[in-house]
Amino acid sequence: MNTSNKSLNLVDSANDFHKINSRETAISINNVEVSFSTPKGKFTAVKDISLDIKRGEIISLIGHSGCGKSTLMNTISGMVLPTSGEVIANDKVVKGPGPDRGIVFQNYSLLPWMSVYKNIFVAVDSVFKNKSTDEKHAIVNHYIEMVNLTSHKDKLPSQLSGGMKQRVAIARAFAINPSILLLDEPFGALDALTKGSMHIELLKLWNLDNRNKTIVMVTHDIEEAIFLSDKVVVMNNGPAATIKKIVDVNLERPRNKKAIAHDPEYIRIHDELLGLLFDKFSIED
Amino acid sequence: MNSFSLKNSISNALYFIGSMLVLIGLWQLVTILTKNEIPGPVATWQVFMELMSEPFYDRGPNDKGIGNQLVSSLIRVFSGFGAGSIVAIPLGLLMGSSKTGMKLLNPIVQILRPVSPLAWFPLGLLAFKAAEGATIFIIMITSLWPTLINTAFGVASIPDDHKNVGKAFGFSTWKYITKIMLPYSIPHIITGLRLSIGVAWMVIVAGEMLSGGVGIGFFVWDSWNALSLERILVAILIIGTVGLLLDKGFNALQNAFSYNQK
Ligand SMILES: Nc1ncnc2c1ncn2[C@@H]1O[C@H](COP(=O)(O)OP(=O)(O)OP(=O)(O)O)[C@@H](O)[C@H]1O
Ligand SMILES: [Mg+2]
Repeated sequence: MNTSNKSLNLVDSANDFHKINSRETAISINNVEVSFSTPKGKFTAVKDISLDIKRGEIISLIGHSGCGKSTLMNTISGMVLPTSGEVIANDKVVKGPGPDRGIVFQNYSLLPWMSVYKNIFVAVDSVFKNKSTDEKHAIVNHYIEMVNLTSHKDKLPSQLSGGMKQRVAIARAFAINPSILLLDEPFGALDALTKGSMHIELLKLWNLDNRNKTIVMVTHDIEEAIFLSDKVVVMNNGPAATIKKIVDVNLERPRNKKAIAHDPEYIRIHDELLGLLFDKFSIED
Repeated sequence: MNSFSLKNSISNALYFIGSMLVLIGLWQLVTILTKNEIPGPVATWQVFMELMSEPFYDRGPNDKGIGNQLVSSLIRVFSGFGAGSIVAIPLGLLMGSSKTGMKLLNPIVQILRPVSPLAWFPLGLLAFKAAEGATIFIIMITSLWPTLINTAFGVASIPDDHKNVGKAFGFSTWKYITKIMLPYSIPHIITGLRLSIGVAWMVIVAGEMLSGGVGIGFFVWDSWNALSLERILVAILIIGTVGLLLDKGFNALQNAFSYNQK
């Protein structure tokens, strides 16, 4: 389909040996339920969640605000422990956060007293205990360059725009080179252009590692979800949200953003996702 | 400094001068109403100039210049304040970082905090066998509470977002303390220190009245015995001014460390 588009900005180099189906499981979510105790009693955010994610897969979670996407992500990162069920990541039951799972938090979570540079350095320094200081500085500079913040690296988070903060958080998560990347609306605050280039950076990074990195991403953007993912997990509305449907995205990689929009399969998936998300709504006028 | 903040500081200075004029006016009024029983600003100014003409004279243990008195008080306050802070800050960090610590220590603090520091004076005498040690001891007790409470509160209020960074990137305990806990709580700690030095400076006057020796509090008491109200008024003004300067100093420190305002 995309021979005619070779001249356009091709995102990933074709790696024919990439066969997702033959891969091992990177993350296995088994019958997970998460309940919070609130002043009004027990509140079940998500339940009956079972999901297997293979090594190298890119998965998107979509669903309406408040349905429990972040909560589900946090069970993989270990920030939230399931009330029942278990999550296995990299063959270990998740009991807490670890540097094998890099996180981009929905609210960026930068340390306000540190510059852009230091925010990333402190994470790199903590994770790569055996690397020399020079190597660590090189890593930090590389990722700051990747997110185009070199000229802002000495600024404090309070001096950055929302999109810039988001890019710092992305650079920080990428810099520790985790085998699993957990991205909670990582591109939400970015303009379309920056978003596009961040998509490419994300895929580049994924390709660099022979597509061995597993990426789980929360997004509200259907086009983004289809363009990046192998599977899109659609969640029901909460409380006690479950998985509504897992939609496979069988679009050949490398994908081209412009060309893909006209692919009949893309259009079919797009319609299916829209239908899943908005079935209860009709516009009354 | 831009023209706006320049204008601002000029108007602040004018207000300060105005405020001092109001004070002097009221003071003069009181003097007139009490038929000079309370010395007026002019008489007090003369005594002030007299005292300041030789602030550091030393004619034996009971007769020293006002500068000497002030310096001894300041040394005492800073020794007690330093000792109190060295205890209060680590204890506060500990208290704030553990729920159990907070629940266990907080009732103790709540019971001891309202006690006038002077009540500790006899215990200080018992422990140090000297008035000097006892005075520093009560200043130490005084400086303990505000710093302890503010430090503990600061640490306990570290947002989950900041803690999560430490968890997600596997910070060691040391890294967590130095890169997250301390930077977040330093503004709170400095607020505590500022309150502590303020109370300590109030308590030192009373403490020195009890202990005697050299010091601005003792100077007030001594002046009362010598029936020199002018000297007492001079001392009051000096105590107030030094207190104000101490507060301003800590205020500046607070501003220097508040990352949010930058
Ligand atoms: N710590 C908590 N205590 C109590 N309730 C919580 C807690 N965290 C999340 N919830 C509740 O769980 C539900 C799911 O929250 P979650 O943040 O996972 O939603 P989300 O799908 O990520 O929403 P959004 O798209 O707006 O980010 C919400 O109703 C929320 O109020
Ligand atoms: Mg969320």
